[in-house]
Amino acid sequence: MIDRLSELLQYRDLIRQLVIRDLKVRYKNSLFGFLWTLLNPLFMTLVFTIVFTIMLPQSAVPKFPVFLLCALLPWNFFAASVMTSTSSIVGNGHLIRKVYFPREVLPLSTVLSNLVNFLLALSVLFLAMLLLRVPFTPWALLLPLIAAVQFLFALGWAFFLSAAAVFYRDVPMIMDVLMLAWFFLTPIFYPMSVLPQAQTLLGVTLNIQRLAYILNPMASLVASYRVVLYYGAPPAWDFFLRTIVTALAFLVLGYLFFARYSWAFAEEV
Amino acid sequence: MPAAVSFKGVSKRFTLHHERPRTLQELAIGLLGGDKGRTEELWALKDVDFEVEQGETLGIIGPNGAGKSTILKLVAGIMRPTSGEIVVTGKVSPLLELGAGFHHDLTGRENIYLNAALLGVRERETKAKFQEIVEFAELERFIDVPLKHYSSGMYVRLGFAVAVNVDPGILLIDEVLAVGDEAFQRKCLAKTEEFQREGRTMIFVSHSLAAVKKLCNRALWLDKGCMRSIGAAEKVVDEYLEAVKGEAG
Repeated sequence: MIDRLSELLQYRDLIRQLVIRDLKVRYKNSLFGFLWTLLNPLFMTLVFTIVFTIMLPQSAVPKFPVFLLCALLPWNFFAASVMTSTSSIVGNGHLIRKVYFPREVLPLSTVLSNLVNFLLALSVLFLAMLLLRVPFTPWALLLPLIAAVQFLFALGWAFFLSAAAVFYRDVPMIMDVLMLAWFFLTPIFYPMSVLPQAQTLLGVTLNIQRLAYILNPMASLVASYRVVLYYGAPPAWDFFLRTIVTALAFLVLGYLFFARYSWAFAEEV
Repeated sequence: MPAAVSFKGVSKRFTLHHERPRTLQELAIGLLGGDKGRTEELWALKDVDFEVEQGETLGIIGPNGAGKSTILKLVAGIMRPTSGEIVVTGKVSPLLELGAGFHHDLTGRENIYLNAALLGVRERETKAKFQEIVEFAELERFIDVPLKHYSSGMYVRLGFAVAVNVDPGILLIDEVLAVGDEAFQRKCLAKTEEFQREGRTMIFVSHSLAAVKKLCNRALWLDKGCMRSIGAAEKVVDEYLEAVKGEAG
């Protein structure tokens, strides 16, 4: 295991090159190029703002664009990492079959290039905060820590999904559906507080709010982003620490799965 | 000194899936209906034993499907043998095909850095050798043009230029000299001979028997995954030619 990690370290220039390749290729043939990283969340914000402040004014949240972007940008980072990772091994089959290099490099660089995109897109959020006069508090300095935890969580998924997609080609289709459901289950365009504290389902009373929070690591991550930026307050530490443990567990399990099956990629891909 | 590459009783089996459950739906149907026995085993290599000494050039010859490329993939570490033992001493060039890993939307310059990184070369080394690579490939004028506008000759020249300039200890070459024009082939040949003088180890897969005779110290003749003969290149190539003639006549 130590050998594998030190080999990975030797290939760090490859990781960098692949991230650069991803970013360059993504924008090279498009008219607006890099601007799409900013235009996409801007447009989404416009749509959601129209829906939730003009068409459904009863559920309006003050300074809605900031409220939304705090959650939407991290979600986009996660969703893009998950979806692109499903093709990170399969889509590079020509490399896998012809060149030896540590296979971990591929999902890792996929998630890294999505992280770069996320960091660039954050400028839209900061701009919205300035325009709508949402003050920056010192708690905003926790942003890198929260992003790091989310990165590890996404990486764990990327390891697992990129390897699983080699053996079962319907992984991307499953994830398409799953990510849509996950998007609605995560408090992105609605506040956590609208969820019922006591809801009776089939005779059992459930605290939906608490369940959504505990069972969904993305809910805790999104809530952490939102609390340090939109509310300017400290995150809920117990939940955040639990999320760190969850993220690390996903990373370790995802990596072990990947390492267990990566030797067979060249034959199966 | 230990051998650069040693194969001891190496076999490689591939499982050909005629009706492989590629999706969960097919898997479920297979489990329910007991739909079994659709796979076939293929032994790409059977009990192969050989060694390549340090500084030696070994040629591998044989008809299509003999297992030549499988040997290179095993040496490079792209695949694992089903049984047997492989020991490789020294750094192997991990590239089996020139230009594997080139990206068509990126320029020649960007691809040189990407390809060298794929071969495990640090970026500052690539930077130091950049000029040499471009000159060897004779692509000074086209280095900032996206690869999709390259001719196939230019493509291969760039691939070879990167591969030979990254300083591998053990060089694996799969059908390189069959490409490029006459002048570039001569250049590649000269470079290969230079490597031999420097005492590098090479494993060379080719259908060009003349090239094998000219370049290799020894040759290995494979047929359907089995070793037919190994020894001095001249002798093995002649045996092979004899056998091919016999079959044809």
